[in-house]
Amino acid sequence: MPTSNILLIIQREFNERVRKKSFLLSTLITPFLIIALMAAPAFIMKYSRGEQKRIAVIDDSGLVAPYLESNETVRFETTNLAPDEARKRLSDLFGVLCIGSDILENPNDVRLYANASTSLSLESNITDQIAKILETEKLKAYDIKDLDRILGEVKTTVAMQTFRNDRSQEGDSQAQSSAAATAIGYVLGFILYMFLMIYGSMVMQSVIEEKNSRVLEVMVSSVRPFDLMMGKILGVAAVAVVQILLWGILVMVVGGFVMPRLLPAEALAGVQAMQQGMPDTVSMSGMDPEMLQAVAAMTDLGYMLKIFGCLLLFVVGGYLLYSAMFAAVGSAVDNVQDASQLQMPITLPIILALLMMLAVIEDPNSQLAFWFSIIPFTSPVVMMARIPYDIPWWEILLSLTLLYASFVGMVWLAAKIYRVGIFMYGKKPSLKELAKWMRYKY
Amino acid sequence: MKDLLSVEHVSKRYAAHTALDDVSLVIPEGSVYGLLGPNGAGKTTLIRIINRITAPDTGRVLFEGDEIAPEDVRRIGYLPEERGLYKKMKVGEQALFFARLKGLSRREATLRLKQWFEKFGIQSWWDKRVEELSKGMAQKVQFIVTVLHRPRLLIFDEPFSGFDPINANLLKEEILALRDQGATVIFSTHNMSSVEEICDHITLINRSKNILSGRVDDIRRRHGANIFEVAWRGDEEALRRAVAGRCEILEGAEREESVYRTLKLHVADDDQVRSVIAAMNEAVELRSFREIIPSMNDIFIRAVNGTL
Repeated sequence: MPTSNILLIIQREFNERVRKKSFLLSTLITPFLIIALMAAPAFIMKYSRGEQKRIAVIDDSGLVAPYLESNETVRFETTNLAPDEARKRLSDLFGVLCIGSDILENPNDVRLYANASTSLSLESNITDQIAKILETEKLKAYDIKDLDRILGEVKTTVAMQTFRNDRSQEGDSQAQSSAAATAIGYVLGFILYMFLMIYGSMVMQSVIEEKNSRVLEVMVSSVRPFDLMMGKILGVAAVAVVQILLWGILVMVVGGFVMPRLLPAEALAGVQAMQQGMPDTVSMSGMDPEMLQAVAAMTDLGYMLKIFGCLLLFVVGGYLLYSAMFAAVGSAVDNVQDASQLQMPITLPIILALLMMLAVIEDPNSQLAFWFSIIPFTSPVVMMARIPYDIPWWEILLSLTLLYASFVGMVWLAAKIYRVGIFMYGKKPSLKELAKWMRYKY
Repeated sequence: MKDLLSVEHVSKRYAAHTALDDVSLVIPEGSVYGLLGPNGAGKTTLIRIINRITAPDTGRVLFEGDEIAPEDVRRIGYLPEERGLYKKMKVGEQALFFARLKGLSRREATLRLKQWFEKFGIQSWWDKRVEELSKGMAQKVQFIVTVLHRPRLLIFDEPFSGFDPINANLLKEEILALRDQGATVIFSTHNMSSVEEICDHITLINRSKNILSGRVDDIRRRHGANIFEVAWRGDEEALRRAVAGRCEILEGAEREESVYRTLKLHVADDDQVRSVIAAMNEAVELRSFREIIPSMNDIFIRAVNGTL
């Protein structure tokens, strides 16, 4: 009964990994790590500002200096010194800003003498401010009544919400936020990439270990090499599935039950309005719509179920395809160092997929995006990054079908290499030799 | 005696070399069958074919008269030369895993394992990880794993390597006990003294061919070089005269401390043996006359060098 042998092997591989403390730790810690990674840029921006830069201003026109606004990064100080003298004497300042006397006619007559390298944000801060001041000055020249009040009223900021036309007829006009979709798409694409690499090389290492400890010889006297390989691949797959299910439950519990309790009441109302497709209520709530949409997505159980369902199918499919190749490479070598060269044909498509994902996420409905999310080797990562954008079901199904079909083909090839490889010790084979092994008869 | 396993005209070629070339052998049920041969002769390939790890290019293997089938693997226990266990797994759990792969139920396997662990006095190892055991300890566990499912056919590849003499002896006794309980044993080794001690039959494989097969006793007798050792007392001249023309005197080994002197003779013709003895008996006082049977070691070396 070979089936029960496969089951025994799956069980062993699964237990060996799940019982490790590192599994529990990585399962619990990874979601927090992902959140931390996403929050990191904000934190870095907040705390990397350094001290306030002091800039002396020599304003020959007298128009600009009074209106220059200091903030936490830069402080403007008007001075009466001559430019050359100021540059010599005020070396403890960040720099000297000189504004020409006919600045209104000649707006290019602005010079900054800096004692250290300046940043792009500092330069644009100064030029933006001067440009605004000059605009206001020029407007004043037209002598309009109540100019300040008019300017105050005219000032507007726009935040747009996007809705899908093809959905609204069914009363399910879920708000689409491309910002939220992009963020979720990135995270999903990276999760896929991580799973393929980490779990794939886990299979490879485990094959190498079995080979080195010579336990393989004992095993193959009881089970077919194919069962052994499949058992290992499926056992590790079961670990991946459990990990994703745990993450899914974790995220849905946090999103569905914890978040609504933590959010302020008006934000919650906005989120609910967003989920029920009432844009008017949303815009009245006065909250940032982008933010609301992200929260709405996170707390929408149906949406999250779809995401995790797809995640599960693509992780398993992608993992199966790649782990078969990893297993073949593992069987051919004696140690992990020797594997690196043979791994190239495996890691290249994964890295290509990652690069494609970055391009695809910019325009998820392009031809490029479509094809790379259909071709099996890149499809898991690329398709997963597109899924938050609500792409048609038939594309997902086609992609999945091709992925699982190519897994079957790949296992067939990998098993041939595996059969030969597990009894080869010593010399590291070349890729050409691996191809030759596929034609060996057993 | 019935034949448990027969290998018929098996050949196996790899890309660069021939591992087995038309090898046939018959393993009688209940015997300990030695599979001998220098390194690289093809023994491991033959064992793998019997285990169904690889398939022969031509020829076939019969198990109890029928072509060997996948299910038969459960009636075989194999201890490979390169021992291996999962290092991170606990001893008991691992033994259970292997036993269940061979088709035992969890309950049955646990019961039998407890008995074996008790027999070897290693109950305390049950919850240890394999990496905590010494090499010899791990080999004991591996031996138990090999025989636990009470296979009809046991294949041991160099079973004594790595064991101290006490444990090697323990193992030898266990192997013979298993044979007495009805198991058939294939025993692959380079250690010729152990072959003489426990093997009933042997096959010698050299350069992928079966060059010598048969009962150990028969082979040794058959390849005796008709050399006899005589111990005697009396007049050497008389002795020499008596046997002259009947046989060739190879050497005379003088033993000062003994009253008896020894002599090696080569008697070319078996029919001459009686007359040689009779003639010597007339001439001197004969103490003993025995054939020198070659050791398996000698036969092995001579067969491999082609001087048998």
